[in-house]
Amino acid sequence: MDPVDIKIFGIPGIYYLWLFTVISLFFFLKRAVKIVGILKKAKPENRFGNFGRQAVNFLKFVLGQRRLFNEKSIGLPHFLFFWGFVFYAASFWWNLIKGLLPFVPIGYTDNIGIIGLALEVMGVLVIISIIIAVLRRLFFPPAHLQQTYDATIILSLIAILMITLVLGQSFKSVAEPSSWSPVGKFISASFSGMSGSSAISLFKGMWWIHIITVLFFLAYIPYSKHMHLLASPFNVFFRDNLKPADLSIKGAGDDISSGASKWQELTWKDLLNSFSCAECGRCDRVCPALNSGQELSPRVILHEIKEHLYETGFKTPTNGSHALIGELIPRDVLWQCTTCMSCMEQCPVLNEHVPVIVSMRRNLINRGEVEQTVQDVLKKLQRYGNSFGQSDRNRAKWTATLETKVKDARKEEVEYLWITGDYASFDSRIQNITQKTSMIFKKAGLDFGILYEAEKNSGNDIRRVGEEGLFEFLKDKNIQAIKKAKFKKIITTDPHTYSTLKNEYDLKVNGNGENVSIQHYTELIDELIKDKILIIRKKLGINATYHDPCYLGRYNGVYEPPRRILRAIGINLEEMPRNRSRSYCCGAGGGRIWMEDKVPIKERPSESRIREAVSLSNVKTFVVACPKDIVMFQDAAKTTGNEDKIKVKDISELVWDALESQ
Amino acid sequence: MNFIVFLKMVPDVIEELKIAGDGKSLDSDWLRMKLNECDEHAVEEAIILKEKTGGKVTVIALDAMELDDALFSALAKGADKAVKITGNLQNIHSPAVAEIYAKYLKDNCLIDNKTLILSGSQAIDDIEGEMIYFLAELLNLPVYGVVTSVSYNSDKNDLTIMKEFSGGIRGEFEVEIPSVLGIQAAENPPRYIPIAKIRAIMKTSTIEEIEIPEDGLTEKIAIDKLFESEVSGRAEMLEGSPEEISAKLIEIFTVKGII
Repeated sequence: MDPVDIKIFGIPGIYYLWLFTVISLFFFLKRAVKIVGILKKAKPENRFGNFGRQAVNFLKFVLGQRRLFNEKSIGLPHFLFFWGFVFYAASFWWNLIKGLLPFVPIGYTDNIGIIGLALEVMGVLVIISIIIAVLRRLFFPPAHLQQTYDATIILSLIAILMITLVLGQSFKSVAEPSSWSPVGKFISASFSGMSGSSAISLFKGMWWIHIITVLFFLAYIPYSKHMHLLASPFNVFFRDNLKPADLSIKGAGDDISSGASKWQELTWKDLLNSFSCAECGRCDRVCPALNSGQELSPRVILHEIKEHLYETGFKTPTNGSHALIGELIPRDVLWQCTTCMSCMEQCPVLNEHVPVIVSMRRNLINRGEVEQTVQDVLKKLQRYGNSFGQSDRNRAKWTATLETKVKDARKEEVEYLWITGDYASFDSRIQNITQKTSMIFKKAGLDFGILYEAEKNSGNDIRRVGEEGLFEFLKDKNIQAIKKAKFKKIITTDPHTYSTLKNEYDLKVNGNGENVSIQHYTELIDELIKDKILIIRKKLGINATYHDPCYLGRYNGVYEPPRRILRAIGINLEEMPRNRSRSYCCGAGGGRIWMEDKVPIKERPSESRIREAVSLSNVKTFVVACPKDIVMFQDAAKTTGNEDKIKVKDISELVWDALESQ
Repeated sequence: MNFIVFLKMVPDVIEELKIAGDGKSLDSDWLRMKLNECDEHAVEEAIILKEKTGGKVTVIALDAMELDDALFSALAKGADKAVKITGNLQNIHSPAVAEIYAKYLKDNCLIDNKTLILSGSQAIDDIEGEMIYFLAELLNLPVYGVVTSVSYNSDKNDLTIMKEFSGGIRGEFEVEIPSVLGIQAAENPPRYIPIAKIRAIMKTSTIEEIEIPEDGLTEKIAIDKLFESEVSGRAEMLEGSPEEISAKLIEIFTVKGII
């Protein structure tokens, strides 16, 4: 029984099938060609880094749907949607080919026993899911759910597809009962008395409604938010996640320091992010800027870019079209990002929000449209190489009161070159912690040295503020100084410095192509304890919680070394609900530490974090591993009135306590 | 309008200052030079005025360490021309600097009713801001120092300026053009110029160099001695009973020869 074998007005069904297919493909391809055309007009970027790694990403994040499982309630259902979709889509194409080209020696999928069974059983499950989805939307919509017209259309289309499928199977059962069609058989029981021929006509009717709906669906997808079905697999494939939130734009050709104010100045991958976005809002739910009551929403930024593309990219731009920066995305919003990378960590389709925001910041910096406090700091950095505006010669001032002089790595060979970073060197609140770190190193008998005035700010925040030229300038100076020094490994204090040296400096061991080993001090201390070079006999026996710094944790995956150290010194570690990759930013990154809060803040990220820690029973110590965290969280403990309840401590201070009290 | 801005490099006091062996100058080994802060405001004000009224901004300075960076930065901000005056210009002070500038202007610029001359109203080595007055005298032009706001009236081709006096008093003046203004603060703080722009300007622009010989300058000022500020006597707290304190006081007064 071939469902295409019908005649309407004397014209055979196959002609209609061809007609509908051509119309559907025409609309689908028209849109697809336009979208590809837009991507081709954007800035070039080489995203063919490593095929193997990209393929693994594809397996994990597309086929495995891994990120979807971060939110438990929707993880499995979406996994089933995805695979159900793949299954039905495969079945559809198979049937379409058979219908269009009857001479192909394949059968319709519903006639292939086990596949027919799977189609109808899954169809029933989908119908049940849709009923649940409709009830959820009507009666228990979650606060973050965007109820759109679009979603209603999609749900209705899926409902039509499944109902026609199941009914089709039932009508077929009347004419040709099959043991592979239990659902059809069950429903067909209620069609008693139906003649075989009318059952066959009804089956064919269902088949046609089904296939026309699919063809309509196909044409509709690229016009809807279900565009993510088409774009996100590519988006995942082209995300080369070797370097976290890579800002370098490989192969962009011309200078990238001028950034992007128009969509043509964003890279094609930046635009693909927007097409891939399903607007699920996971990024918004973890964004420290949005959750502190500011306007920045990573989702809305990508969405505005998409809307802007539809507005100007698909048509000839008119004078009435909106400017991307300033109108669609307010300047202040761009400055609210702390570059904590939570959005990127959560995004199921691996969108890269931070590079897009930084590209637009670059443009603002280039036009001088940045607040005065940031301009002042950048001037200081340009001139003195540090954000404190102090003389280079003061960089090693913290060593002056140490018992033994810290070696000058420019003058004598050392095993470890220690790059301390600005805050650890210049901030009077942190210098004593830096001293303790150096005393720990000394106790471990480490052969280490620093660069004294030759060290400059590594440029992490500078780059994220959008001052690419200054980043390159300071990077060159640091690389020159590092090349002159004789050492085996690099250690760092500030996670921001750590991340930039590790991922953005591309330091090679002299003579061979091997990367220089760069460690955060927590990684090194962890090793020293493990290798029994630092022997801790005294256990502190206190309850504490640990805050993962963004640039140590999310950016570089260093979650366990600090925890191992804490356990080794006898600390009972209690985790905050937001720990490891879900750690909540202190609010200082991406240059935010130099900015003023413009809009009234509901609750600063650092305050939210301190409250989270205080709510843990028994925790009196808040352990950090980043100099900026000390500044941010000590402030937050004061402003939230929790100064007596919780002490903010650097991991070095605690290690030193454990060593000293022996 | 033609905006001519005179700039000066001054020692950066963020760095430690040391007096050289001759006892008359700063040790150049320790010295870093930076653009005088008020001059930076003068450049900013000139560029703001140019953006509002159109015209051309020329920045001119005597050669000094790190001067090129400052001039390229001014070009990147929007100045149209940068001039570096070279020659044996060691140890000269405001009167001679004004003479050199006047000489340069007479040879190279037409000072007409479309020309405004600006400079910083003071510098750490010209704390009274004399240079502009010497210069105005040589050019026979009106001069106003400590200016905090300038606006151009196109109908009358003159300026309305705000000048600050001590004690928080401010005065508004109608100023003819040409004239010399000593800028204390520009309308906006000096803008930040990204390094990429400065580097780009370094590739595309050049700094004009002009040599002006030192001889023939009438300046008669010379530094005799340079010294660090001396620590004056510190307060001493007298402790004890009233009797003991009185006794100590009498002793001190006697030693000092007061009683």
